[in-house]
Amino acid sequence: MKLSVVTERGEDDGGVAHGARLLAFVDAVQGCDDDAIERERAALRSVVSPEAFVDVCALVASFNVVDRVADATGIPLDPMLYAMSGDIREELHLARFRSAGNTPGAR
Amino acid sequence: MALRVIDPDYGAAGVPVREDLKEAHRFLLDHVRAPGTWWTGQERVSIAAASRGAPACGLCQARKESLSPGAIAGRHRAAGALREDVVDAVHRIRIDPARLSKPWFDEVIAGGLAEGPYVEMVAVTALVAGLDYFARAIGIPPFPLSAPLPGEPSRYRPAAAKPEGAWVPMIAPEDASGHEADLYGEAAIVPNIVRALSLVPSEVRALRRAAETHYVPVAQISDPTVRRALDRPQMELVAARVSALNECFY
Repeated sequence: MKLSVVTERGEDDGGVAHGARLLAFVDAVQGCDDDAIERERAALRSVVSPEAFVDVCALVASFNVVDRVADATGIPLDPMLYAMSGDIREELHLARFRSAGNTPGAR
Repeated sequence: MALRVIDPDYGAAGVPVREDLKEAHRFLLDHVRAPGTWWTGQERVSIAAASRGAPACGLCQARKESLSPGAIAGRHRAAGALREDVVDAVHRIRIDPARLSKPWFDEVIAGGLAEGPYVEMVAVTALVAGLDYFARAIGIPPFPLSAPLPGEPSRYRPAAAKPEGAWVPMIAPEDASGHEADLYGEAAIVPNIVRALSLVPSEVRALRRAAETHYVPVAQISDPTVRRALDRPQMELVAARVSALNECFY
């Protein structure tokens, strides 16, 4: 996977099947434009199976839960994950997020 | 009083929803309205309603757009009997979690909300956010919140919970015994996100139930071969984008 697509907007699939459609749908659901959700939902459903579409919806739900739990409880990134994720954090500039301050040494 | 949770209606989605997801949604809706550890069923439903109502709150929108959210005064759009400081915390967690901070948390606790009720409030707020995002994504109305169940909170505080580097006390995996022996399942490694709510063990169980149906079971997270109808790179791309948009470092 091309990591930069996680934080960039565009039509790049990032080496993931239907990556651009997946990202555009997530952006729409996380945003405030209901018309955009309708449009991106239709676009995504035209390229993935119904079962896969439901999986996307479930993942969006799940990470909206865990992100809030993580940020509201101030948990640090686990030491093993921290040690393994240095390149990813650097490439995506994750230290700019305020919650990086919950992990000693991350900012 | 309705004793049975209102069954979600997925009809408008136009796609078949997995049975395990439907069961998880029913479980979570029932969990939210039941008496908890520190809050009554009525209070938990009020927290759930406050979480759901936060996106329509004018004060929260103004704060979200402000460089200094704490400098924007006003009253939240909320109904019910929750204290204003509780509504404020619920709305901030729902709308602007990326800008929560240790000083903010300390202020909430100094204001009179103890750590146990805080953790339970976080859980209800976040779980309802998840249910709402599922409905929004799949194209159905938000799941109805059922009437609260009667009963008193258990007020159970696990003795094993202690400072572990987060803002709130947590139970270390090696200390999860007795009533908490089941808390972390069979996972060889228990990440902090699973431990985060352990000051209120029943919320860890609810979070695990949600995660194993909506993502993958904790014990399988590190196995790259585990997938659903989406392949694993697709799953991780979606997860990473959500967390990036939420500006969540974890």
